[in-house]
Amino acid sequence: MTTTNELPAWSEPFDPAARDRLARLPALEMIDREWAWGGSTGAGVSVAIIDSGIEGGHPAVGGRLIESWLVDIQGGEPQVIADSEVDLFGHGTACAGIIVGMVPEVELVSFRVLGSNLKGKGAAFAAALRNAIHRPVQVANLSLSSKSETLFPVFHELADEAYFRSVVLVSAANNVSGASYPSLFSSVISVAAHPEPDPWRFYYNPEPPVEFGAWGVDVPVAWRGGGRSVATVNSFAAPHVTAVVALILSKHPGLTPFEVKAILAAVANNERRAL
Amino acid sequence: MAPRAAIDPVLRAALLTVREVALRGSVASRFMPLSEERLLQSIVDATVRLFEAEAASIALLEGVPPRLEFRVAAGSKGAGAVGMSVAPTQGIAGYVFSTGESLALTDVAADPRFDRAAAERTGYVPRSIASMPLVNDDKTVGVLQVLDKRTTPSFTMRDLELLAVFAAQAAAAIAATRVQRELPTLLATSLRQLEPGMSNDRVRAIVVAATEGLDVDEGTPFWALVDQVSRLRDLGESELELVGGILEAVAAHRAHRKGARGR
Repeated sequence: MTTTNELPAWSEPFDPAARDRLARLPALEMIDREWAWGGSTGAGVSVAIIDSGIEGGHPAVGGRLIESWLVDIQGGEPQVIADSEVDLFGHGTACAGIIVGMVPEVELVSFRVLGSNLKGKGAAFAAALRNAIHRPVQVANLSLSSKSETLFPVFHELADEAYFRSVVLVSAANNVSGASYPSLFSSVISVAAHPEPDPWRFYYNPEPPVEFGAWGVDVPVAWRGGGRSVATVNSFAAPHVTAVVALILSKHPGLTPFEVKAILAAVANNERRAL
Repeated sequence: MAPRAAIDPVLRAALLTVREVALRGSVASRFMPLSEERLLQSIVDATVRLFEAEAASIALLEGVPPRLEFRVAAGSKGAGAVGMSVAPTQGIAGYVFSTGESLALTDVAADPRFDRAAAERTGYVPRSIASMPLVNDDKTVGVLQVLDKRTTPSFTMRDLELLAVFAAQAAAAIAATRVQRELPTLLATSLRQLEPGMSNDRVRAIVVAATEGLDVDEGTPFWALVDQVSRLRDLGESELELVGGILEAVAAHRAHRKGARGR
């Protein structure tokens, strides 16, 4: 352990000459919503929606859908192929509508992993997530989760890869009890529903795994065929947080998922304790 | 029953054990028929009552190509759904089935592509729906749906959590009854686990030999006897004693007659 090339390189950023680069965030108590996303439109940020597809022509999507992909299982292997702007269910379009409503200049990338093929959904979901991370997008909105034990290590690796590549994963907490992934991984922003009808109101819960709560009860949403509906589910709470993350990253490009989480906690609607 | 000639003598003992297991499974099921339909019916009945809903129903994935088939329903507006089926890749039930995630929607009819025609065939078009997947292990086998609470226009997160409890119960009931229905598959799986190198033909031959004649729906004298014996469960202590006494007397009589003839 005497030669320099055996020394770990991990200490380099902490060298006195290099440490200035680390000054990125104001003190936590100085961070407010105005600093975090005041004036932001979401320009320059692309968000992946891994779901049932998005109806590009739906008024609520406002023409912000720039790419549509279908993950199809061909010969047992998931293939990511170009897709038309369709949504067989309405769920992906609903997520898109929520995000566009809060982030008018966001760019949406749809990955359709639900559709005619009922087999291999977990594998298709993993393939879509991998593609989104490498594309790369800045944020991925995940309504789905997998209970499959065999996919646990796959999603674990993808969640880590997203973290180290600074792609923020926002996942709906599962509505029913039981472990499901990736919503329970520590680097993921996991969101459950609260009933207060305000898209901008979200709460931080210091007891993981579900760390954030956003509006998810009786949410008016876009639905299939240019329609609308009103829905109650955790998977419509998640896009509200995805939208806020997109606004933050548009104003402050390059933030890490850890920093984003800290900012969200700092500006959440929780009661504040005195300094 | 003798194993078939095609079966290796080494496996003979194993086969007899397997047949014993299969026989016990079948006898148990004949004794106490776990009617899937009846269990599921009781679950939708309870769901309707608890939620004060207009209807509740359970659809299971059945057939080739697979469709979500409405097997049971309850509530004043529920009856029309039974026997209907929908594609598992469309609509609210399809979404819930495909994702394994629950969903509650209000103003359902406001969705222009809501399957109004299908809803009208049931004689009822709902305003709100809560739909919950029925999950066994990793596999979604169907959906539990509740239509229109009478007390409130929409479903809450608490409703969804409560509904999840009923869904878990329904999934467990389905798993229990399918153990019987899928006995051959179960046996084949266990054989493959015991002897991974065994060929498919051989597994099939053993399963056929083990389960042959064990169809509980058959009206053979063996099952007629099982049925009669199963009626003993309903008897009281003194009646059981009486039946036991009669059987003993019949046996003694036969033994006596046999002895008399032999003399």
